[in-house]
Parts: sequence; C-alpha cells; structure tokens
Amino acid sequence: MTPCRASLSGRSHAGKHVGHGGHTEILGSKITGAFSLITVLSPLSLVMSELPSRRIDRRYCLAVAGCAAFAGMAGCRPSHAGPPRVDKVWGRRGISEGRFQRPRAIAVDKKDQLYIVDMTGRIQVFDAEGRFLRYWRTPAIERGKPVGIAIGQEGQVLVADTHYHRLLVYTQSGRRLPESTIGGEEGTGPGQFGFVTDAVQTADGFLYVGEYGQNDRIQKFDPQGRCVSQCGGHGDAPGQFRRPQSLKLGPDGRLWVADACNHRIQIFDIEADPPKLVGLWGKPGTAPGCLQFPYDFAFDGRGGLLVCEFGNQRVQRFTLEGEPLGIWGEPGRLPGQLSRPWGIVADSRLRFHVLDTYNHRVQRLKI
Amino acid sequence: MHWGNWHISFVHPAYLIVAAVLIPVIWLVSFRSLAGLGPVRRVLALTLRSLLVLLFAVALAEIQWVEKSDRVTVIYVLDQSESIPPAKRRLMLEYVVRQVRRHRNARQRDRAGVVVFGRQAVVEVPPFDDDLPPTTQVESTLGETDATNLAAALKLASALFPEDTARRIVLVTDGNENLGQVREIAPSLARNGIGIDVVPVKLTTRAEVAVENVILPSRMRRQQKFRGRIVLSNYTDDDKAEPVRGVVRVTRSSGGREEPVGEDVPVELKPGKTVLTFEHEIDSPGIYTYKATFVPENAEDDLMPQNNVATAFTHVQGKGRVLLIEDHMHPGEFDFLVDRLRAMNLEVDTMSTSTLFASLAELQAYDVVILANVPRSSGDDETSVAAFSDAQIQMLANNTAQLGAGLIMLGGDRSFGAGGWANTELEKVMPVDFQIKNAKIKAVGALVMVMHASEMAQGNFWQKVVAREALKTLGPLDYCGILHWSDFGRDSWLWRPGLARVGTRRKTMIRALARMTPGDMPAFEPSMRMALAEFRKNKASIKHMIIISDGDPSAPPRALVQRFAQDGIKITTVAIGAHGVTGTKTLQDIAQITGGNYYRVRNAKALPRIYQREARRVTRPVVKDLANIPPRLVLSHPIVSGIRDDFPPLQGMVLTTVKENPLVEVILRSPDPSDNRNNAILAAWTYNNGRAVAFTTDAGYRWANAWTSWPHYDQLFSQMVRWAMRPAEDDEAFDVATTVRDGKVRVTITALDTENQYTNFLGLTGAAIGPDQKPFSFPIRQVAPGRYEGEFTAREAGSYHITIGGRGPGKPPLIVGANVPYSSEYKDRTSNVELLKELAALRPQGGQAGKVIGDDLTPAKLESLVKANPFRRDLPRAVTMHEAWPWFLFVAGLLFFADVAVRRIAIRRETWQRWIEPIRKRLRRRTEAVEVEAKLQRLQKRKEQLADDLSRKKAATRFEPDTIPTEELDEVAPPVAAAASKQKPDSGATFDEPEESYTDRLRRAKEQARRKLKRNDAEEDAE
Repeated sequence: MTPCRASLSGRSHAGKHVGHGGHTEILGSKITGAFSLITVLSPLSLVMSELPSRRIDRRYCLAVAGCAAFAGMAGCRPSHAGPPRVDKVWGRRGISEGRFQRPRAIAVDKKDQLYIVDMTGRIQVFDAEGRFLRYWRTPAIERGKPVGIAIGQEGQVLVADTHYHRLLVYTQSGRRLPESTIGGEEGTGPGQFGFVTDAVQTADGFLYVGEYGQNDRIQKFDPQGRCVSQCGGHGDAPGQFRRPQSLKLGPDGRLWVADACNHRIQIFDIEADPPKLVGLWGKPGTAPGCLQFPYDFAFDGRGGLLVCEFGNQRVQRFTLEGEPLGIWGEPGRLPGQLSRPWGIVADSRLRFHVLDTYNHRVQRLKI
Repeated sequence: MHWGNWHISFVHPAYLIVAAVLIPVIWLVSFRSLAGLGPVRRVLALTLRSLLVLLFAVALAEIQWVEKSDRVTVIYVLDQSESIPPAKRRLMLEYVVRQVRRHRNARQRDRAGVVVFGRQAVVEVPPFDDDLPPTTQVESTLGETDATNLAAALKLASALFPEDTARRIVLVTDGNENLGQVREIAPSLARNGIGIDVVPVKLTTRAEVAVENVILPSRMRRQQKFRGRIVLSNYTDDDKAEPVRGVVRVTRSSGGREEPVGEDVPVELKPGKTVLTFEHEIDSPGIYTYKATFVPENAEDDLMPQNNVATAFTHVQGKGRVLLIEDHMHPGEFDFLVDRLRAMNLEVDTMSTSTLFASLAELQAYDVVILANVPRSSGDDETSVAAFSDAQIQMLANNTAQLGAGLIMLGGDRSFGAGGWANTELEKVMPVDFQIKNAKIKAVGALVMVMHASEMAQGNFWQKVVAREALKTLGPLDYCGILHWSDFGRDSWLWRPGLARVGTRRKTMIRALARMTPGDMPAFEPSMRMALAEFRKNKASIKHMIIISDGDPSAPPRALVQRFAQDGIKITTVAIGAHGVTGTKTLQDIAQITGGNYYRVRNAKALPRIYQREARRVTRPVVKDLANIPPRLVLSHPIVSGIRDDFPPLQGMVLTTVKENPLVEVILRSPDPSDNRNNAILAAWTYNNGRAVAFTTDAGYRWANAWTSWPHYDQLFSQMVRWAMRPAEDDEAFDVATTVRDGKVRVTITALDTENQYTNFLGLTGAAIGPDQKPFSFPIRQVAPGRYEGEFTAREAGSYHITIGGRGPGKPPLIVGANVPYSSEYKDRTSNVELLKELAALRPQGGQAGKVIGDDLTPAKLESLVKANPFRRDLPRAVTMHEAWPWFLFVAGLLFFADVAVRRIAIRRETWQRWIEPIRKRLRRRTEAVEVEAKLQRLQKRKEQLADDLSRKKAATRFEPDTIPTEELDEVAPPVAAAASKQKPDSGATFDEPEESYTDRLRRAKEQARRKLKRNDAEEDAE
C-alpha cells in the first residue's frame, strides 16, 4: 500500500498548487506512479520467475495484472466535483486585448456576448467561445475599479462604478450615455451612494441599484433616473444587507440578492414598493449547503440556481428554495478549480460562465 | 538525434558502455544455454534481455530530452538618475512601451520587463508575455536618484530572466556610472548568454554652473581667524560665451542653527573656474558646517540646481557640551535636570524629536547626547508622528562607538524597551538589553495586525514593511499574530498558533511575512472575531490590534467592536489609499469605539513610523511600578563618587536585561525585581571609543520625584555626564588636513610633540563613517618625519567623519571631517558613449554582439529607435532539460516481465490454436463470407456441367485405357481441385472429384497430335 498512498498524496498536492510549474508536477506524479509500478512488480516477478513453470501460468499472469492495475492507480485522486462539467477554459493574465487583470464582474447579453470588467478598468466584450470582440474603459480608476456589470432591458450595459459612487450606462458598442448615469455623489441620502455593487432593470424600466459601505441598501430608480424608494440597511436582520453584491431578477419575477457578507440569498417582491422581503436562505460555512461570501449567482432554467462563492471558491447548485443539489469546483489553478471567483452568468444555451478572478480566466460549465 | 526543437542527451554517457559490453556477452553466453527454448523463443528471449540491458544503461546514463526554445525575453533597464532631464526619463517609458508593442512576438510568447534604476535598481514590470501597460511615469519606489548604479541594475535584470528563453537587456542610459563597476559584471552576463543592446541618452551641452568645493581647515582653535575658499565652475563649450551672473551666499550651521556669513557676494562667472575667498572666525567649540550656494540671476543660465550648493565642515575643540533630546509630545519634562546641569557649569542644548539632527556632523558639536525618556517614534496622528529613522539611530550609535561621544539614556515610560528601541543599533551600544528575556517577569504584550490588500501602488509591499517593523519592536516574550485573507478564500492567521510568542521565531515570522500575499478581504467581521477569540485565550497584560486597509471591506457589527472595548483591547486603524468618506468612516468608527488611534495615510512611507508607534503600546509591560523603594548602591564608581548609599525612593523603572559582558558595571540596583539580570537602575560601560550609561528610572519628573530635593542630585547627574563625556584633547600638536580629489579623500597628519619635535613611528589607524553611516577603516602610513598619510575612496557625496587613533595609550582619537560636496551625478555633462559601446560590443556566448541603437533618445528620433528590434533571434536559444530516464526505467521494468515470461512460460501449439482459432474464425467470417458464397455458386455450376459431360461420354466409351502423360492431365484438373481443397475445411462443401474417362483422354491426345502436325506443316511452309 505504501507506494500508492505516497503517490496519492503527491498528486493531491499537485492538484492544489499547480501554477506555472503545474506541468512539471503532473509529470512528477506520473513518474511517481511509474516508480511505484516498478517497485511492486520487479521483486514480484523475480519471485515468480523462480517458481516451477507449470504452476505460474495463471497465477503469474493474474498477479502481474493485479499489481499493474494497483500501481496504475498512482496519480488517481478522488474527485469531489460532480456535474456540471467544464466545457471550456479561456483567458490569460495580461493587459493587452483579450487578457485579464483580475476580472471582477461579468454579464451576458441576448446574443450571448460576454461583458467582463477587470482591475484595469476595462470592459471587454467576448463571444461565448471567448473570442475577443472589443473593449472600452471607464472614465477614471484612480480611486478604484468597478465591481459590477449588468445588461439593461434595451441591451444597454450598466457598469457599477463602485468607488465613484455611480452607475455608468453604455451602449453595447461602448459609447457612454452620460445622461443616463445614476448617482455620482457620495452619501447616504436618496440617489446618493456608498460603494455601488450591481444593478438590475425590470421590464418597465425601473432600476434597482445595490450598494454597501455606510448604508448597505438597494435603491429603486424610475426610468427617468429618480430615486423612488429604497430597502435594506446595514445589518444581519432579515431584509438588511451586508454587501448586497449581486442583484438579479428571478424566473418568478422577484428580485434576488446575494447578501455576500451575511452569507445568504434574499428574495424581494418588487411588486410592493418599497420591495418586500419574501424569502431568505443560506447560512455561513464550508459544508455543502452553506455559503461563504456568495458574490454572484445565475438561474439554471430548470428550477434552480448556481451560486458563486468567493469564500469557498466553488459553485454550488441550489433549488430555488435553497436546497443544495451539488457542488462544483475547489480551490486551485487547474481547469475545474477556482481561485476566489467573483461572478457567474448563464447564456441562452444555459451554459454557465464562471469568472475565475484570481486565475484571470473564465471557465464555461455545462450541466 | 534531433526532432525539430527536441533532441536527446545523456548526463553520464559512460554508462552506455555497459550496454555495449553486456549485450554481446549475453548473446554469446546464453545462445547455447537457451537452446532448449526452441529457435523462436530463444531469439525472443535474448532480444528482450538485450533491450532490457539497453534501457537500464540508458536510464543509468540519465537520458534527457533537450528542448530548444525560440522565445526571447527582453528586459529594459532604464536610467532614472537625475543627470538625465525628466523629459527624457519619461520618453524612455514611451519608447519601451511602443517598441514592445511593435516587435514582441506574441505567438512565440516573448516576454518583456522593465527595471528602473538610480542609486538602487527596482523592478518596474517583471518579465511577462504581454505588452507593457502604457505609462508616462515610473510607479516603483525608486529611492534616491542622485547616483547612477549601472552594475546594480544589470545584476537585477540578469536575475529576473526566466530560464526557458533567450535573454537580452536593452540599456537606456547616459552611461555615467558613479556607483558600482559595470565593467566587472558585464562580462559575466555575456558568459551567461545575455546580450546587451544600448540606447544612448545624450546630455545636451548647456550653460551650467556648479559650486565645486568649499575649502576650510579641518580643525582649528577658538577665535582663530581663518580663510575659506569657494571654487565655482562655469561649464560651457563656448569660450566666448557671456559670463553667468548671480550671487554667492555663505552660511554657517552648528547644532541645528543656521546663520549667514557676511552679505551675499555678487559674481560674474566666466567660462572656467572662479575662486572666491572669505574670512571668518569661530567663538565657541563644536562642529561647524559652512555652506556656499550660488543663485543665478537668470535661471536658464544654470539648468541643474542640485550642484549649486557645496558644504564643508570644521571642528573646534572646547569644553564639554551636552545635547539633551526630549519627546516633542512632552516638552519641558526634563527642564529641572537641564537647569541643574547648567548650574554645574555644563553647556546643555535641548533638541526636540520633531526637529531631530540630520547628520552626524550636527552631533559632533556635543560630547554627550542624553536621550531623555524619548521613544523611537511618537505622535498621535499622521501629521504629528515623529520618529528616529534607521539612519539617525545609526548616527547615534556611531557617534559613541566610533567618534567617542558619550550616550546617556534616561528612563521613563517611553524609554528603553517601552520606547520601542528594542532590536535597534542603539541597543547594542547600551550596557543593558531592552528586552526581557526572563519568563518569571510578567511583562508580556500581544499584538494582532490585520492586513487587507490595498489598491494603492505597492500597497502590499508597504504592508509587509510595516508589519516587519512592528514585529521587530516586540520583545521575545510578547505575542504577535497577523490576519489576512488567504489564497484559501478565508481569513487566516499567518502562523500557528494565531497569537504566537515572538521568542526565537522572530526570523521565521519575518520570512512568513515576506511570503504573504494579502487578499481582498470582503468583510472585517470574520478576522475581528478570530482576533477576539485569540485575545481572550491569551494572558498578555496588554493587548492591541492594528487594522490596515483601504476601507472597502464590509463594516463589522457594532456589538463586535464594543466587545473589544469591553475587553480593554484598543484597535488602531490605518486607512491607506482609502476610497473616500465611505471607506474611512468604517475605520474611524472602529478606532473611536475601542479608543484606538485612526490614521489616514496618503504617503505609504509614513506607515512604518505609525506601526512602530502602535507596536510600542504592547511593549509597555516592561514598565514596572515600584513601591517607593530606594535603589541599592552595589558598586563604587566615578559616577557615584562621594555619594553615600542613601538614595531616595523610586516609584517606577523600566525593566531591562543587563548585558552579559564583564565590561558592564551595574552601579545601582532596585530591590524589586530581585533578579539581578533585570533590576539595574544605573549601569555603565565603555563601548569601543565611547561610553554609555543606562539610567532606567526618570530624572525626577514622575518616578523619582523625591530625588529633586535630594542634596546629591546635581552631583550624581553632573558626574554621570562628565564620566560619559568625550575626553578632552591633550596638548600635543597634531595637525590634520583632508583633501578631496577625484573621488578620493586624503588625510595628512603632521605629528609634533609638546616640544614641537616630530613624533615618528606612531601606529596610527584611520576609521571613517561615510554618508551611509557605515563605519570603515583605512590604513595610515608614515611618509616623512612626523608626517603620515592615509586615503580612501569616497563613492558617495556627503560628510565623512574621520577618526585617527593609535596615538598612544590613554590618548583620545583625533576627529576631523571631509566633505564630498555633491554626487558626481551632477558633474556629468556628457554621456559616456564609450562605455556604452563597450557594453554593446560584448558578445554573448553562442550569439551575436549587441547593438547601439541610435545616438540619442529624443522625441524626433523616437520612431526610428522604435524600429530597432530587440526581440531579434540572434541570441543563443534557451535549452530546457526534461528528465526522461524514469520513463526508460519504467519501460525496462515492464520488459522485465516479458523477459521472464518468455523464458518460463511455454505455451503448446494446441493451446495457441485454441486461443487463436475463435478470433481467426470471427475475423474470417467477416471478411470472407461474401467471397465463399460466390465460390460455392461457381463450384456448383461447374459440378453440374461436369456431371452432364460424364454421362454423355460414358455412352461413347469403346477403347481400353492407355498411358497418358501426367503433365497433360494437370493442365485440365487443377482449378477445380485447388478450389475444392481450399474450401474444404471451412465451407464443408464436398463433391466427387470429376474423373476424366479414357475416351476423353484419347480424344484429347488425338487433337493435340493433330494440332502439332499442323504447326509442323506451317513451319515448313514458312521456311
């Protein structure tokens, strides 16, 4: 058992820490496996070769085959990752076109074009296969970079310019619509913002904008950009928030909020004004079913949703009622592993694009 | 063997001989002995055994796959020193960005990086396979740029190269190095295959005035008139140029005070050198620095202001002077002591920590320095924080150790270990250590630091600097913990247990810090909860926490913060690069609720001072309250000479640890604590050339209130000062002169005794402290009767303090100074193109020599410079070795079984057939089924035809059989017979072989004979 166990642990190590040297470590584990095979088989064959030839025919062959299978297990690693499976991994670190510097927010439009904002303040547009299409920059990044991006009902791109306390609005080609900008003033009054996190627009043109800082809340703006109501507040009571990091409209027409630092999902009825809390689930932890800093989520079109956890560095699938269905991903740098992911979106073909932030890439999943 | 970019090599090819020898031997020896295996098995067994030996031999020879890479890495080394105009320094960045964008081969994944340098070199962009971010200014903290250190820059660049690429450095500089020796390091780069391209930066010819030097006698007596000279140079290439007009201003400074020497002197400087003189005299002893400044009338006449100032200093020996340094946050605390010392005829100056000395020369005015309850850093917010820099602490230590001045440290709640002086150079000079190394004494603090990644430039670097500084300040019994957002996606302690005793782990902790990468912490709450839990388990008497952040993590619940306040744990928050009010409010609230300090830092350089100041809070436990008990006199010493053992009681002291050195004299001890290692009140020793005194209680302000009315107060402190004071000079006439020329300082000593006779054969020794505060020695030898000379190279501009020792037993060292006015950086007016050509001409091993790209970096020439391709493939390709021998060993291991199996397992033919037959059948069924069907049909048809013929011919039979040649029969029979024999086993088709009747054979023979006859007739006709 010893050689196999040793190689198992070696493989596990490689899985956790492979970066640029990943290739070497994988090779290393294979070599370990080869050695374990030789270690087991060579002495055995010597012993067998000394046995009377008539007796060894079958036993010998079986023993060799058994040992080979046993040693061949070297390099195997139990996998906790069930479905969904990785369909595509793309993106590299860098500042040139098509590369990322810690991408922090992702959105997808009806044509399955992905809009990704990173720590250089660029909004880059890709097709669903990861082919670069175009990019533009936010006006200023000295004070900080955007952490949220969304697509409006008319296809306009909504960028949460977090540290400038505003929501920027662009056309899909990247032309800014200054008259549509929401906020820009720091404060806790109506229409003022702390750190803007995300926004979502309803079919009737109303915008819901999340923020954190001094006043963790969601403000509602009418199509003319006037603040009409708000809900929330800093705290961990139901209906309050601690960093409402992601806002999305659910299949039920309700407003779903990833309440990141309270490690939960909150659901609001937006028919009411101000929005009224109608559901809440999630508790902090690392076990299946628990959440650790849920930064984003996406509905799977099959009565569930996938939650992207920044803290647990995984994607977890839930029913809309919060029942856990499965976990995908673990900390690491290999395909299928995540490093502090920030975002997830689902395209029209229900493929999920996960923003693997500290690996500077996108992983596409299929259920 | 080559396969594209791959080939193989062996580390120990000699092992291949094993195979070459063994394989023939195996065949020779085993061929006969294996005869019993049969021919096929024998050859197979021998082949396998030979292959096995070959594979083992190849594995032993350590076979490697060798990969040659086409990738190129270019590191740009940009000179950012001040000799190059700022506009050109910015242009360098544009040049680099454009050139990389144009020439980098993205498909080959070429890499580009940038190193910038002045006095030091730093990495601006590490080599990476992407274009460079467009930028117009250097973002790295470059430090001083008053020197050009080409060698350091090339060294750093060469260390940055990845191994799997060809390597080239593009050096953009004026080539005027004044630190390091690039010629020493460049050949080694070439040997390592690193090519160097050079882009020269030309310095424009321009009007330039420099104050070359101020010349003063290095030592003089009081009220002696002397003449000083100021040398100015007007550099211009045009000899007929108009003179440059301006004024020369001379000032004199001593002990932090600056005063003018006469009026400003108007001058007209013609091209070349001009020498001005001035007369002056000095009334009181000390070190005086004279500064000459040239102020041009028209600023355009003088483009480099840095070289318009030169200084020199001189030393006047006199009676003892005392410098008392006090905390700027507690002014007047030692006024009583100062008054009493002055009353005892000592000259005492006071200095506040907010206006500290800047050079060692300033300290030279004094014979004793008293640190009166002074912490290493003090102040309550960013603007009021004042601290001794490392350089200033080194100056204080050198002032005593090298230059012989006394150093007295007076106690109080902000001194010794309580003042954050632990682990500093100052601690080495004092007779006591500032840390308590005694576990019985409960003087323990606990500090937790929370690190949150900052988006400001080099934020993470500064976090590490501050944590390291704070860690250094803690004592060995103190606890320290660091919380950060780790790679594992949660708040984590940097080491285990979270709050760990510093003890012997200090270096390990500092190493862990260096490896730390603080992440983007989403919320303060988890880390604060972890800290609180750890604090509650810890028994330290003082607990403190520091949070450094840009303020954007989610705010903690108020109740949690209040729990810290309830437990008496103060939290100091430091907002660095904070995002407006929203970010700072959270941090402000945390500090306010817990009673800690809040700092908002705009300049990261202020951070270490803040952390030292804050870390000092947990070192307070070294302060010990005493129950009004008098100290015990335990040693007779000149400091307590004439004082009886009736010292007044004390109410407190700072605990220290007496150094285990026989030179340390402990004079007063406190009865509490009883351990003699930690209860010193008054200790003294001689450290190198100077003396140091530790007085661990205060001088009457709080703990020693009763002492101020004690009749021996004046006597004790005046004797303490006088004992520590630098000894007065004797009457021997030693004349010391220093000259600075060509970067070298020459010291000339003329030694006369009291009768004005030359003193010969003295073993004089020279030591000096340079501007970097590092002491070094230099030799002095006698060159003539009574005349001695020594010399050293002054690589840096600034003051050099020179100590001449070895005059004889009991004689104090002589102290003089020399001043190198300004860095040669500001003297250089033309580029050192020759050096640059030399560097470019170095031929990297296996590649082509570098190129000199263009002749100057100007906006007009930028485009043509960018065209040059530094990513060209003329360098030795990088070779990467991949170990392949384990695979060979693996295959050999597998073959081993085959080898044994061939010898030991004999499989009978029937067994083989039994195994193989079903497979063969299955295969045949698939491929031949159609063909067999067709054949069967053909045979059936033929059978029917033959049966008809047979019945017909039987009816006509009349003759007896005769002999018929067999070859004639074969011509008829074979097709059917062959087909039938082939089909027989498989198809199962059977039928009677058609027998040819006698009549048929006869008729056929008759026809043949007829055909033959016809042929013969035809041949005869033809003839």
